[in-house]
Amino acid sequence: MSDLSHVDRYPEIPVSLLASRGVLRTGEWRNMRPVARERRAPCSDACPAAVPVPRYLHLLAQGRLREAYETFTLRNPFPAITGRVCPHFCEAACNRDPYDGPLSIRALERYLGDAAAGLGLVGPEGETGKSVAVVGSGPAGLAAAYYLRRSGHRVVVYEKREKPGGLLRYGIPEYRLPEAVVDAEVARLGALGIEFRTGVALGPGMSLEALKEAHDAVVVATGAWEGRPMGMEGESLLEAGLEYLEQVARGHHTLPGRRCAVIGGGNTAMDVARVLRRLGGEVTVLYRRTAAEMPAIPEEVAAAARDGVRFEFLSLPRAAAKEAGALRLTVERMRLGEPDASGRARPEPTGETVDLEFDAVFKAVGERADLAPFPDAMRQEPGGWLAVGSDGSTADGAVFVAGDLATGPATVVEAIARGRRAADAVSARLGGGYDLPAWAAEESPDVVAPVEVNHAYFSRRARVEPSEVPPADRVGGILGEETAGIAAADALAEIERCFSCGYCNQCGTCFVFCPDAAITWDDGPVFDYDYCKGCGICSVECPGHVLLFVRERDDG
Amino acid sequence: MGERMLLTGNHAAAHGARLSRVQVISAYPITPQTTIVEELSEMVASGRLQAKFLTVESEHSAMAACVGAAAAGARTYTATSGQGLALMHEMLHWAVGARLPVVLSNVTRAMAPGWSIWSEQTDFLSQRDVGWLMLFAENVQEAQDFVIWLYRVAEQVYLPGMVAMDAFILSHTSEPLIVHDQDRVDAYLPPFRPLYDLDPAEPRAYGGLVNRDHYYEMRFKMYENMERAGPLLAEAGREFGEVLGFPYAPVEPYMIDDADYVLVSAGAMTSNVRFAVRLLRERGIKVGLLRLVAFRPFPFEEVRRYLGGRAKVAVLDRNMSPGHSGIFAQEIRAALSQGAPPTDVYGYVLGIGGRDIRVETVVEAVEDLLARDHPERCLFVGVKGLPIGPVRPDAEVRPLEPLEAEASG
Repeated sequence: MSDLSHVDRYPEIPVSLLASRGVLRTGEWRNMRPVARERRAPCSDACPAAVPVPRYLHLLAQGRLREAYETFTLRNPFPAITGRVCPHFCEAACNRDPYDGPLSIRALERYLGDAAAGLGLVGPEGETGKSVAVVGSGPAGLAAAYYLRRSGHRVVVYEKREKPGGLLRYGIPEYRLPEAVVDAEVARLGALGIEFRTGVALGPGMSLEALKEAHDAVVVATGAWEGRPMGMEGESLLEAGLEYLEQVARGHHTLPGRRCAVIGGGNTAMDVARVLRRLGGEVTVLYRRTAAEMPAIPEEVAAAARDGVRFEFLSLPRAAAKEAGALRLTVERMRLGEPDASGRARPEPTGETVDLEFDAVFKAVGERADLAPFPDAMRQEPGGWLAVGSDGSTADGAVFVAGDLATGPATVVEAIARGRRAADAVSARLGGGYDLPAWAAEESPDVVAPVEVNHAYFSRRARVEPSEVPPADRVGGILGEETAGIAAADALAEIERCFSCGYCNQCGTCFVFCPDAAITWDDGPVFDYDYCKGCGICSVECPGHVLLFVRERDDG
Repeated sequence: MGERMLLTGNHAAAHGARLSRVQVISAYPITPQTTIVEELSEMVASGRLQAKFLTVESEHSAMAACVGAAAAGARTYTATSGQGLALMHEMLHWAVGARLPVVLSNVTRAMAPGWSIWSEQTDFLSQRDVGWLMLFAENVQEAQDFVIWLYRVAEQVYLPGMVAMDAFILSHTSEPLIVHDQDRVDAYLPPFRPLYDLDPAEPRAYGGLVNRDHYYEMRFKMYENMERAGPLLAEAGREFGEVLGFPYAPVEPYMIDDADYVLVSAGAMTSNVRFAVRLLRERGIKVGLLRLVAFRPFPFEEVRRYLGGRAKVAVLDRNMSPGHSGIFAQEIRAALSQGAPPTDVYGYVLGIGGRDIRVETVVEAVEDLLARDHPERCLFVGVKGLPIGPVRPDAEVRPLEPLEAEASG
């Protein structure tokens, strides 16, 4: 019989005799390749403070609370505050909005803030030996103070009122933002060594020049508190809305009259209306445009309506007069015209008027800053508005401004963002600073578009809405906090709704799909380009489109 | 020993997989196979079977997943039918070329179009040349046992195997059977030891390109192992009787010793054929039966021994190969052409598309057999309006006639 021993030496199946790595590099066939590139989610892009929403939500979902909090507070130190009062530009931009409603980002932010109650903020790595004054302790001043301190500077906060917090404490009613939340944040800053000096105001007693003498730099964030004149007859008979809120915040829960009117359509108007309603008033909001043009947070408008606040739209008070113990308000009916500079339809007079009778009328048509302490050299023109760079810098190199003083009346989150930017600008001048994690140092400006999301991975599900605390259960009575935090299970379920636009939340889809097993895993996909044939399946499947598919000859 | 139960053939097949301790099941549902995988998925869900149940999007993927799982060292099972088996075809080649002893139960079903879910064996026999072991079960007991029997042999030669179960007649008919005790099956069927370990630490390319100077030898060795499977199947069938009480063999003769005329059949129809043989014996006709249990490897020796030199052999095929004849008839003739005394083989095709094969149908075929004086390649039994006979020489293609309503208008 012939010798078949050579046949027996063959393996039974076609299998490489050597380990295959390096034998046949099928990756050489590739002319396109996948690259993992984190990009900006539209929520982060819309956020004035640029909070990396998908990133901190992912950490939260993994139970990494401290990392989630530290990630968040790299951009905004006060999630418990913005989680309650932010107008959440993020939700309006959310790629999930057209699918089944935006992610409940503000509720998740509050969840983070409340869950992190026991945690401290990240402090400085070392001391710079420089000293910075922060004037004003509203959201801009507190944020500036935090990032200055984190950067290694000694920080002294000067506050005109008896307690720090500014608008957060004296302008936003307790039912939206409990004072205890503000206290906790101030305490956290105090724990980092930030010094608060209260009862001292910028002015004759404490000039800008004196502060510049005592410190290496000054950040002014005194806000916008002065009522804007409407120029109507009998205006002095009206009460200032913001002042009333401050009075209530100080514990004077008095109703100035049964029939109340609030003039304006912004957040202050809603706050005044809802506080008056809580104290038993019959409240009518007079607004010169319509519901669609109101600058207030839509939820607050809806809540005011639920509270029983009446709205008279297209109504502009022209005159007020005292009459038999009551106030007669002459209101002109308006109509909508062409859009103005803000993009909203402009109210135009019709000439038609109506007389309405109230016991008290509040003005909440916007506030302006007190610019008296600033020399003409810092203004755009003598007697005019301050000349402020986007980083808060002024003509005086040692003075920076932040918050409403820099922008005009805006939101808490914009003030926080301005405070951080001013602090960073101070450090750029004085030295010091804080380390940025890699993601923040290399952040892409490229925003993920809705069409880039792979909806196949997301079933439609209604978003989690925070519930209302029953009036009887509210801490602090009728003015106590109205909105409940969401439960942990609801938070986790809501985080699952996040498309994670442009952020790798380690879902593993690419790993599962790669037909060439050319993806290995190390807290995210690692491509073995020796064996990646460039089929592109991983890129197509990637739910949040972190994996881009680029031409091989481009450097990506 | 074991538990007497009343089960359908499909549920019995599921028990066969369970008793074989399969570790991975990957399947796609298709009538009339569905209740096999439904039962298995319930077994897995309830924890009665420790296995991974993979749902996939097609039979092609089902077999691909079986290939992957078996390559990783798991005992792997699937079940399908008709079009599903056809869609699996490419992956059937893959399993055998990779020498992975997957076992599948195929509920034999007529191929489309016209769509039919009814019994016919052409789907199964179309896989003849792929290189799988192929068995035909006749009853519910065998639907269970042949799965176990196949694993035993398949894992010795590293070749996959499939069991044919006739649609509805076997798959959906309840019969009493013995569901074996697990420890007895464990004594019969040792754990699967894969031929090659899939080791991520030492990655290798499997199933890759093979040069002309190697491929032939690999196939040669595969062929050699299929040859080995014949005696192993017979031995394992005997041992099945010793350990589990049901002896099996590649063929099963019935009233054959003195028979002048021998019928050949396979699958569930055999029960009626056996009954017909008894009736014909009562009429004094010396007829016998050879049931084919194994189709691959083909039982050449047994066929020659039992059929060689008989006056007439009638092969009853529930299948056909157009341009030739019933597939079993071809195989029997081929086997008898080598070293057997001259034997006339009459090919009968019947039961196509689920047409009933009754006892009287078989009796009619035997009466036809007795009346003929020379063998016919392919005789059709039960075509409406025609006596048993070959195709018509004057058959022609007719154009589609207009519908009546159109014609009258």
